[in-house]
Amino acid sequence: MAELDLLDRGYAAVMRRVIDTGQAQHYTELATELGIELAAARDLVHELVAVTPGWTHPGTDHLASFPPFNIQPTQYRVTIDGEQRWFAQCGFEALATRWLVPGKQVRIDAPCLCCGEPIAIEMRDDDITAIEPEQTVGYTSCEIGGDAASRPFR
Amino acid sequence: MNMNLFRSEEHARNWDGYDDSMVSSLMPVAVWADIFSNPFFRERGRIDYISWTRSEAGADAFTSLRALLPRASG
Repeated sequence: MAELDLLDRGYAAVMRRVIDTGQAQHYTELATELGIELAAARDLVHELVAVTPGWTHPGTDHLASFPPFNIQPTQYRVTIDGEQRWFAQCGFEALATRWLVPGKQVRIDAPCLCCGEPIAIEMRDDDITAIEPEQTVGYTSCEIGGDAASRPFR
Repeated sequence: MNMNLFRSEEHARNWDGYDDSMVSSLMPVAVWADIFSNPFFRERGRIDYISWTRSEAGADAFTSLRALLPRASG
């Protein structure tokens, strides 16, 4: 188990890279950035996704999801100040991307899973500036965070 | 991921993944935007975020978040 300081530094480094580029480091890059051994960086990636909660691609050490963003494309496209290079982990986390880019205009574009027709939401900090269509809803078929005994914010 | 946006309540109910036991989660997107404004989400840009989640302030945020999250019925 990594020390808390290393978890903080690792989390901040990955989040910064995702905000800046829409991509996440491979653990070898993270090792160089944090000045730690490769094996420690590989373990750190898995510890970070366990607490965020995100995930690696199954059977690999490759970061696939780092909420609120997803490294692997999803149907939730995130555009920040007119540039679309990010994806959100899910429809709800899409709404939380704005907190990582204070003062910037964030737009979420997604197809409705029922009909494929578009949904668009625009936000800046605390303000939701547009919802199209106005009747847009959120829905989850499972409890958020999974089982209460295992979710990070239990 | 099963946390999704739909063009209307009717669209959500017509989705092939719809489960009525989670009907309590079917809410306007503005309500979800408010729930996802909890400090658990707002504070992610901190350089000490993981430490913060384990602080008293983090625990308080989790408690209030938990209280807002819908639960399955039945």
